[in-house]
Amino acid sequence: MSNEATNKQVTSQAAEPSAEEVLRETLKRCSPETIEAALAFKSSGDVSLVPTVVLGIVERFLEPEMVDVLKNGDDSVKFMEDLGLDSLTMFEAIMMVEESLGVSIKNEELWDLRTVGDLKVFIASKITGEETVQSAKFYPIEQVAATMPQQEPFLFLQSAEISGETASGVYEISGSEAFLAGHFKHDPVFPASIMLESLGQLGVFHFLKTQAGETSADKLSIYFTGADGVRCHRVCRPGETLALSIELKRRRDPMVVYSGKIMVGDEKAVTAEEITLVFADETASESAAAS
Amino acid sequence: MGRQRVFVTGIGLISSIGNDVSSVLRSLRNLSHGFAPFIPQNEKLQGEVKLAGTVKDFDLSSSDFEDWQFPSRYRIRRDKLRSLPPHGVYAYAALEQAIESARLQEDDISNLDTGMYTASGGSMRLVHNNMSRMHQLGPMRCPPTGIVSSIAGTLSFNLVAAFKIRGNSCGFSSACASSGHALGYAFDDIALGRQKRMFVVAGEDLNDESVLPFAGMRALSLKDDPGRASCPFDKERNGFVSTGGGAVLVLESEQEATRRGVAPFAELLGWGQASDGHNVAMSHPEGLGLIEAMRRALESSGLEAGEVDYVNAHATSTVIGDLSEGKALTEVFGKRGYRPKVSSTKALTGHGLSLASALEASFVALSMKEGITPGSAHLKELDPVFGDLNVIRETEAVAPAVALSNSSGFGGANVTLAFRKV
Repeated sequence: MSNEATNKQVTSQAAEPSAEEVLRETLKRCSPETIEAALAFKSSGDVSLVPTVVLGIVERFLEPEMVDVLKNGDDSVKFMEDLGLDSLTMFEAIMMVEESLGVSIKNEELWDLRTVGDLKVFIASKITGEETVQSAKFYPIEQVAATMPQQEPFLFLQSAEISGETASGVYEISGSEAFLAGHFKHDPVFPASIMLESLGQLGVFHFLKTQAGETSADKLSIYFTGADGVRCHRVCRPGETLALSIELKRRRDPMVVYSGKIMVGDEKAVTAEEITLVFADETASESAAAS
Repeated sequence: MGRQRVFVTGIGLISSIGNDVSSVLRSLRNLSHGFAPFIPQNEKLQGEVKLAGTVKDFDLSSSDFEDWQFPSRYRIRRDKLRSLPPHGVYAYAALEQAIESARLQEDDISNLDTGMYTASGGSMRLVHNNMSRMHQLGPMRCPPTGIVSSIAGTLSFNLVAAFKIRGNSCGFSSACASSGHALGYAFDDIALGRQKRMFVVAGEDLNDESVLPFAGMRALSLKDDPGRASCPFDKERNGFVSTGGGAVLVLESEQEATRRGVAPFAELLGWGQASDGHNVAMSHPEGLGLIEAMRRALESSGLEAGEVDYVNAHATSTVIGDLSEGKALTEVFGKRGYRPKVSSTKALTGHGLSLASALEASFVALSMKEGITPGSAHLKELDPVFGDLNVIRETEAVAPAVALSNSSGFGGANVTLAFRKV
């Protein structure tokens, strides 16, 4: 694909190229295997060829040093984090996939395609018409910030992923958090209370996305009300990434209870048996007041 | 903090007369032009326009950026290349040269006190291609980098991101005065203490879409003899030869240049601008805007007209434009008894829209450091209307102590920059 597009198509009056020629031109920097698989798919509709085409297109956009990461990895390889592709490159790759396989991918569908496996399953389901198994839904920082009542500098959740009654999230301790200057003097340690807060925030995010129904975040008040069975297993410092996870244990309105855990790499940092949030739907009280 | 002095501490050049400072200097000394036959990519367009100031060792003619070829010393990753217009590659290369020339380290480039102003008319080729693709295939088939690679401002978007610039940034677009404006406002930012360092980057494409539309304005020379196709101030001048390329100047405060211990090319003393308010495409016949731009540049710099010993004229080799500038020079200097040397280096390089002012400003700064005053090539017979001017033909082996560099753009936008030898 080129940002200069197809000058020849615009200025030339030559005979229309065949479908095969167009496809070969679209995939001209892909491997021969990719091109042949795409041509074979066009003629046979054989869905088993889709992974070859999709992976071949992804490979074509990779920096040379990343090719082995793709080839040696499995379906869990992530486009951005593992392969270094940015969103514009993803758009380029998706456009080429669309042109090659004759599918159309909506903007909102794109955000859920984070791994090689996501993309393969998604394209195959597009082609066959079969419903995909809903994988975890990913939310980048922009969507997290747009949803949460907590905001900078008191937002300790940088991205989140929701899958049913569980959610995971990430917070990277930058070291520039203001409170680290005093916690402690010359010895920055991420406070345990803030780690618990970050788990609570992941719970809030899960609640707002999956439990709040039609009530919008700005019409819902939600507060941390309690935590039980909390253990801190290690000290966390700047440069480390907190891998947060929570699971919905029960909901008894106006309370909702999650269990939570924070890992740093393979090490357990915090566990909490119960994190309890209390919420109130302000639209309901407004309606009651009005009546 | 008082007004800061501003120095040119780095220069990078990709031009028709050389792709680095030393080869450009050689061309200026020898008055070697950079013209070669212009071969339009669209064969239907061949015939009328014979020459262009071609950029050697760069082949950006393909409609696919992944086919572009340029010297291997400039390694541009695909994820940076894909959103560049063709002239973005020239600018990128010139910027790398300028960084090296100014001996800047990574910390000097990416900080809140270092900014970047750019000048470019955008890429008409990419606008055309992307819009054609959209009309043929629909909006979802527009390349995702289609806008950032094509619209005016493209150099700013791309290079600020690629070089992690964190200070002031903006793209300027006033046609042939664009990079003059960029230099002027960069000067202000440093002089007023808003920034310590500014990169000023200019670039233009060299392809059918960037060159040939000027033929319709009857602004291009249609001659095939380089010596006759761009001959500013000549009686037979008949239009300009188009060029593309990239030019970058690094401007730094005196404090910063001293701290780093870098030897400047020249001091940028000040600048002036004014508009003709006359015509969309032609300079005022009496040069009114340029007269005021020069006066303001002198005032801004604390100079008397008599101190100026060289003017690098805008002079593109068009009948009307050169005449207008000649009258302006006579008004500012001749009528007061001053006869600074005047030359137009466009006789060598051709004229490159937004590129022109930065390219010529760098020639002036380079000349001051290297001890030359560039001549006005291709001048066989001085048009008698310029009889009052001291138009020098050969390059002289003496540096100007104080020089002006003029630029005039469409709509009658005029910029004059004033330099002093360090």
